[in-house]
Amino acid sequence: MTAGATRSVRAPSQARMLGPIRPRPRWLEFRLLGLVAIALLAGSLSLGATVTGRFGLFDAQALLIYIAALFGAHAAQVLAGRRTDQILLPTVALLGGISLLLMQRLPQDLVTQTFFGATFGLAQVQLIWLLIGLTIATTLGIVVRSDRWLRRYKYTWAAVGVGLLLLTFVFGTEVNGQRLTLQLGPLSGQPTELLKVILVVFLAGYLSENRALLVEQDTRLGPLRLPPLPYLAPMVAMWAIALGIVVIQRDLGAALLFFGVFLALLYVATGRVSLVIIGFVLFFIGSAVMAVLFDHIRTRIDIWLDPFADPLGAGFQVVQALHAFARGGLLGVGLGAGLPEIAGNLPIPEVHTDFPLAALGEELGIVGVVAILGLYLVVIERGMRIGAAAADDFRSLLAVGLALVIGVQAFIIAAGNLKVLPLTGVTLPYISYGGSSILANSLVVGLLLALSDKGVEPPPLPRTGSRWRRAGRRAAT
Amino acid sequence: MLGSGSVRAPLGRTTIHVAIVISLAFALLAAAAGYWGVVEAPRLVRSPNDAAVIAAARTVARGLIRDRTGKILANNKAAADGAIHRVYAGRAISQVVGYASSVYGRAGLERAYDAELTGLAGDPLTDALAKFGADRYDPQDLTLALSWDLQKAAVAALGKRRGAVVMLDPRTGEVLVLASTPTYDASAIADPATAKATFEGLQDDPTQPLLPRATLGRYVPGSVFKIVTAVAGLGSGAIEPDSTFKQQPAAEKNGLLVDGYRVRDGHHPTTGSTPLDLIGATEVSCNIYYALTGLETGGADLAAYAKRMGFGSPLPFDLPTAISQVTNGDGSEPGGFTDDVELANASYGQAETVVTPLQMALVAATVANDGEPMQPRLVTSMTGKRSGTRTIGPQPMGRVISAADARAINAAMVQAVEGRLGRQFTTGAKVPGVTTAGKSGTAELGGTGEPHSWFIGFAPAENPTIVIAVLVEQAGRGAEVAAPIAGDLMTRYLKGAP
Repeated sequence: MTAGATRSVRAPSQARMLGPIRPRPRWLEFRLLGLVAIALLAGSLSLGATVTGRFGLFDAQALLIYIAALFGAHAAQVLAGRRTDQILLPTVALLGGISLLLMQRLPQDLVTQTFFGATFGLAQVQLIWLLIGLTIATTLGIVVRSDRWLRRYKYTWAAVGVGLLLLTFVFGTEVNGQRLTLQLGPLSGQPTELLKVILVVFLAGYLSENRALLVEQDTRLGPLRLPPLPYLAPMVAMWAIALGIVVIQRDLGAALLFFGVFLALLYVATGRVSLVIIGFVLFFIGSAVMAVLFDHIRTRIDIWLDPFADPLGAGFQVVQALHAFARGGLLGVGLGAGLPEIAGNLPIPEVHTDFPLAALGEELGIVGVVAILGLYLVVIERGMRIGAAAADDFRSLLAVGLALVIGVQAFIIAAGNLKVLPLTGVTLPYISYGGSSILANSLVVGLLLALSDKGVEPPPLPRTGSRWRRAGRRAAT
Repeated sequence: MLGSGSVRAPLGRTTIHVAIVISLAFALLAAAAGYWGVVEAPRLVRSPNDAAVIAAARTVARGLIRDRTGKILANNKAAADGAIHRVYAGRAISQVVGYASSVYGRAGLERAYDAELTGLAGDPLTDALAKFGADRYDPQDLTLALSWDLQKAAVAALGKRRGAVVMLDPRTGEVLVLASTPTYDASAIADPATAKATFEGLQDDPTQPLLPRATLGRYVPGSVFKIVTAVAGLGSGAIEPDSTFKQQPAAEKNGLLVDGYRVRDGHHPTTGSTPLDLIGATEVSCNIYYALTGLETGGADLAAYAKRMGFGSPLPFDLPTAISQVTNGDGSEPGGFTDDVELANASYGQAETVVTPLQMALVAATVANDGEPMQPRLVTSMTGKRSGTRTIGPQPMGRVISAADARAINAAMVQAVEGRLGRQFTTGAKVPGVTTAGKSGTAELGGTGEPHSWFIGFAPAENPTIVIAVLVEQAGRGAEVAAPIAGDLMTRYLKGAP
């Protein structure tokens, strides 16, 4: 049974699938986007009233461009006529819109970039990234009809990922004590953001193929019954890579994200809690050793345990973020009314990348924070639903993994802002300022949209089985 | 293994498990947001490290602070560059009002009421509505119980000596005087132009002008502590007002033997061989009588009654207070005493006993207010443009002893000021024409240093309206220095300016 044979068997259905493209209305998405637009306009009015004292939108142009782009993306999907998920895009669009309002509200000179001779401030640059991200997500959601390019080349993707990591190790520039940024000519980016997507693709491929083997228990280690040792190798490799990221990139957050997603997917694929526990134990042992060996990790942990020990020194950023949540209280002080500046400085350094949740916590209150957390849960829920409905293990694990990447990352940085975990440098998906983050997370939305359409090319028949049968046939002849 | 790849176990179950874990993790985040935004918020938003507090300090005119007559004690002044800084009425109030400096932070009431003065802390309802108004800040003006005139007189009376005067109304707990010397020029710290030179000079000053002695100074009390012993003795029923100790007259000559240690007295030879009761012993400040009373009462009760009057923890007060103690509490005997020798010595105010002047005023107030002291307080009302006026009323601290017991000690303290023998120990403490009660103290410091001079008292004894505690560091006997200051100040209060 070759792939060609499969295609010939399914030929009729494929013909129907690739027939003339008919527009298909997406009323749910339309209505939800309408609500998103109303919410964002209300936010902009509130911001405008606070900042200018007059009743009017704040920097109306940028927001209207964004809303127009949202409906443009909607129209494109209607015209493409695919049966993709209708809730994902509005959810992410609201997060992106909140990000735009926040960036408009912050001092514009936090970030300036010059493209083709024109200089853009913080909100404008963020808007550009959001628009590019929207384009990527919509395009993937419309165009991708086959997963073979992901499924087939999982080791190639893994190699690309490791290559990116190595490039960052070697050529990365250090920003704030973390070597995360890769500079390529005029462009700079954080490869770990792209890496997390590649990781999920690889894991989905590897785990879907070796699920059955990982459930086997043929290795005994004391009281523990483990899968066949060779199949544990990737797990150990993941562990090593995660710790490598900690050591060389000094990026505790990315390591936690990668390892967390890996363990969650491992559990989804095998249903074995023991593997997850072993993984966590290994990670904590590794982290403990790292904390003993490296000052910067120990400092982070000390700050986490008691930021108030040095509220104006080492703990300043974390303490000021907690103060921001406290000032916000239940209902918040209102968009534009928070973040009191001291002699022209924002109270929380790096608020636009590391602490957007604290800023929103002050201005929108606990109510706002809980709403934002809820939006992330919706994204996770959609991803898992898509995964549960998917046609085979690869697509299932891919969808669940992509959703987990967003969810775990949002958790890690939100927990860092709220002193639940040590602060790390990962971004808050769709809200933090930054091109790499928005582009990579848009990629996730695009892939989830594509995966949600059950009318795409059916998955190939399981290879493991056919290989055995092929081998059997060869032996017989 | 054969064919296992084609059998597809559903992933839905494990996916749901992961979804549950993630949901719980997000619920934890929401709980954390609630913790910082609601539970910890009152502490954080008032902290001097809060960005809003710091920002407001630079831009918002702080609320004014007035004395009980409306005299402005702390005002705002705009410098040439538009920055606002504080100016204060004078040096006499520096230890109470403190300072608000852009360089050196805040002290005194300026620190304790920072959030109210900058207008960041109102009541929750007006705070919730504040965000809809144009004006974010609602600075509160404070009105104090303090009397500017009396405070100035107290500082003048202490003069160049180091010491403290506390005067309060025993019926309401209103603090009229909270003077400490030496004092300093708070306006010079608040003015950015002179802040650095002034502050550094004060920090290097060996007389510690920045220390508010009335609330944070801890001193050996000497004989004024006998009032605490009397309260504990009568309160616990260990003695009655007419109780006497038959071994006391004999012990005057050779000392009282306690566990092999001799408690000595001998400064009142005129009482001869008569056993003294509470009134007689208080009149001549008999150490032997009070040592015996303390031993009879026991360490546990002595410590317990002291605690009821505020010993052992910071006082409920507008300003931070040092903790007064009967003993340092590391002993194994009841109440934390090491042995009976320490207990006997503590009973007349030596040993490990240390007190703040405010605490001793509170002891006198307990007797003056018939056994039930009121919480001492400085701020009597707060007024904001938006939130209106909030009055802070009297707060009882709870009954310490019965009114009858308090009256008995009252009578003993009257005798100590007005009696034929008592007068010699409290010269100058009497308010002319008014029955005055009091107790002097001479706190031996050991070594060759001069003792601290103490006086606590109140007047009119029949219906006390003013309580006073005076401490002068290393000034000699209580009768010589502290008592006349107390007499003058009480006279001034009861009779108007002399």
